[in-house]
Amino acid sequence: MTDRLIALGDDLERAARKDLRRHSRRRRRVLGGAAALAVLLPGGALASSLLSSEDVARSMPAGTKFLVGSTPECDVVKENVEYRCTINGHFESEIDGSLKGTVEPTVDKTKHVNGGCRSLTDDGREWSCYVGEEAVRQQIVGAGFLGEYAPSPGVG
Amino acid sequence: MQRSDAALLAAARNDPAAFRELYDRYAERILAYHRRRCRDEDAAHELTAETFAQVWLVRARFRDECDGSAAPWLFGIARNVLLVSVRRRALEARARERLGVQVTPVSVSPQEAWLENLDDDDVPEAVKLRVVDELGYDEIARELGTTPGAARVRVHRGLAALRKERTR
Repeated sequence: MTDRLIALGDDLERAARKDLRRHSRRRRRVLGGAAALAVLLPGGALASSLLSSEDVARSMPAGTKFLVGSTPECDVVKENVEYRCTINGHFESEIDGSLKGTVEPTVDKTKHVNGGCRSLTDDGREWSCYVGEEAVRQQIVGAGFLGEYAPSPGVG
Repeated sequence: MQRSDAALLAAARNDPAAFRELYDRYAERILAYHRRRCRDEDAAHELTAETFAQVWLVRARFRDECDGSAAPWLFGIARNVLLVSVRRRALEARARERLGVQVTPVSVSPQEAWLENLDDDDVPEAVKLRVVDELGYDEIARELGTTPGAARVRVHRGLAALRKERTR
């Protein structure tokens, strides 16, 4: 490998480390906030909040930039766990080619990651969405990412 | 034992060293891909950097659909970086900017010509791998970062072109 390519790899690796550290700091802040909230709220209040299918539908564009402006509609598969969502309206993904299998986080109205969805179709119109820990079990979001503060829809 | 690309990408979610290993494995091939298209050394390096910056940002989206090889996925990203650059008439740099990687200004402007015969890019290489190295289509596909079906088409096109050349 040439020196130039090695230097380029060094730059990228350094940037990747910084990026990871940025995310870790953000995650720690969010987890700290969530822990404080759990102390303040009556027992079980966080866990027991039920999501409506409309909440899940709203969580999709809140988590993914290319879905902003689209109008997902979701049906309950298993309440508070799994939803099947269809996206209406125009959207344009930054991903070239098939969207099948693509995973995206979902974000609740307090701007925290509350689950994630997986595209079932090439055109990205049909999605299976999972709430909370189920999204982690489905390997859509990492355990550390769930609950993270996400002030704006994500790209990539 | 060498880790597969899929294993490296899974590890790279939390480990930049795994990402670096993947980079070391593919950087020359991705550079060669961009160099073939743009024929400019500086632009090819910038496009390679952008390709890997995007790989880092979307690494969680990788799905292992080629027995552990990430080549088709990586070359797909490289192709997309090239297409977007030509479409925007400027070398794509958004992923690097997002990561805070220095972007070196390059005077060359992306041209439509960079996309000519984009799908035939690997035809000579495909023929060599098939005829000289006697690889199967699955292996050729892994080498070229494409599907076995597309590899077969490229070999077929290459052989047809050679046949036509000989009968002239």
